[in-house]
Amino acid sequence: MTALVAEARKIPAFVRRDWLVLLSYRAAFVSDLLFIGVQALMFGFVAKLVDPDVLPSYGGTHAGYFEFVMIGVLISTVSGLLLQRVSTAVRQEQMIGTLEPLLTSPVSPTTVQAGSIAFDLLFIPIRMAALLLAVSLTLGLNYDASGIAPSVLLLVVFLPFVWGLGLVTAATILTFRRGTGLLGVTMSVLGLVSGAFFPLTLLPDWIARVAAANPVAIVMEATRAALIGGTGWDGIAGHLLILVPVSGAALFAGVSAFRAALAREHRRGTLGLY
Amino acid sequence: MTAAPAALSLASTLQTTPIVEVEGLDRDFGAVKALRGVDMEVAAGEVHALLGPNGAGKTTLMRVLCGLVAPSAGSAYVLDTRAGHARELRERVGFVPSGDRSFYLRLSGLENLVFFGRLHGLRKRAATARAAELLASVGLADVARRPISTYSHGMQKRLSFARALLGEPAVLLVDEATHDLDPVAAQQVRAMTRERAEAGAAVLWATQRIEEVVAFADRVTVLDRGAVAFAGTVAELAAAGGGDRHVIRLGAATQQSLAELDRALGALGRLQPHRGDRADALLALGPGVTLGAALAALVAAGAEIVGCRDERPPIERAFLSVTGVEAA
Repeated sequence: MTALVAEARKIPAFVRRDWLVLLSYRAAFVSDLLFIGVQALMFGFVAKLVDPDVLPSYGGTHAGYFEFVMIGVLISTVSGLLLQRVSTAVRQEQMIGTLEPLLTSPVSPTTVQAGSIAFDLLFIPIRMAALLLAVSLTLGLNYDASGIAPSVLLLVVFLPFVWGLGLVTAATILTFRRGTGLLGVTMSVLGLVSGAFFPLTLLPDWIARVAAANPVAIVMEATRAALIGGTGWDGIAGHLLILVPVSGAALFAGVSAFRAALAREHRRGTLGLY
Repeated sequence: MTAAPAALSLASTLQTTPIVEVEGLDRDFGAVKALRGVDMEVAAGEVHALLGPNGAGKTTLMRVLCGLVAPSAGSAYVLDTRAGHARELRERVGFVPSGDRSFYLRLSGLENLVFFGRLHGLRKRAATARAAELLASVGLADVARRPISTYSHGMQKRLSFARALLGEPAVLLVDEATHDLDPVAAQQVRAMTRERAEAGAAVLWATQRIEEVVAFADRVTVLDRGAVAFAGTVAELAAAGGGDRHVIRLGAATQQSLAELDRALGALGRLQPHRGDRADALLALGPGVTLGAALAALVAAGAEIVGCRDERPPIERAFLSVTGVEAA
């Protein structure tokens, strides 16, 4: 337990490191936000073309397209960024030559991995929430305030799923030194069958059935129910029952795969090779 | 006045306590045998030089000891713990890698050291104080707040050395630390290393700069193609290169042949042709013979000697001899 606390106390060092690195790339930081802002604006106009009648209703409330799609945009952006970051964080350390100094420091490999993405786990959702707030105030998103807390909980439960998926990809990248293709395919498939930009009911029947089991789609639907339908805690309970074990299993699989990949590199003596 | 014997006793005790113990260590990379049955011990308070040409296996041995590479066979123990991923072990081992790229280039030297200091369990304030102290000790205090991307290779190497000292290590593994350093900075790093050894740390210092180990290392292990070619003190290594050898230049007034002069030397040494140059000859002194005595005997035999120089420092000759390069 003491060792666990000692390791946990090292995580803020990683967060501060990544914050300082981010500050050194100010232009990239601003352009990132600008990109999502422009996307929001674009969907604000597209929303005027979409007939709300074709959209599903949540808790008896018919969704407007802008409200519907912004949840999809934000969750898919959070998943995409995190997946990309988790899967490439260790690879990036390997490429810039800091992986070996990290692994020869008194810190566990699990802490190195968790630390490398701790900043993104905190910062990406905060950034998205701030953007959602800004878009709500400027473009008039109509969400139910009672859905905010359940949505945050959904996101917290959902993040380990993305983290686990990212770790599996990270293990692949660590082993084969390539993996951006796999990352691209994973993100595309998850995106297509997530219902981020259109209702899942528009998909062919068999894909819609597959999509219904997609944790990304589940978290989007549950968030929409909470924020658009105002279904509250009761409305998300069923979704949480699915998400909690799925996220746990994904994280366990990811950590196992990553540790196995690291042990393999250690045995082969190729940790520093890129 | 009474402190000296106590200090000597402490030093001798330290230098007999093995901190790093390697036995029958093999490491293969596919068909390449990077290490072959390496045996080695490094005692507390000792600077142990690991000498060898490129590809001898020095870096692989370092990487095994700091847990980055697993051995294929044999054992490697550091502080009575099997070298590997034990976190407790890494708290007490400082490693200076041979490569240049080991820092976050967008961050400053201070920020980098604070980060690594916090991985040693130091709180932010303590890590900042320790980092500042170490930066000053390696002469980087003035550039502490500059991004690493603006540092020269030598500055990065010094920073790397400072990082290795963050945890007050009991074992210091230094791989080619002075490779990119100017003579002053190299001397500074060696002095700091010696200081750590005097404080009781076991230091393993990998280098291919032969001249560096003289008057710095206590013992030497020479690796050649993954195997130990020599293990002993610096003096023993120098002796392994044979006795003193000098190149003498004979003047035009010398009438005798080299064979005649060689006979005239007798037990004082041997005189042989040197690289086919008719004017130069190689004088190898016999055991315990001084250069003056040999030269006097040659002059008495009729030789005109117009120049004399060391053929090669004995340690360099020994290195070439034990690694088989000279013979080749």
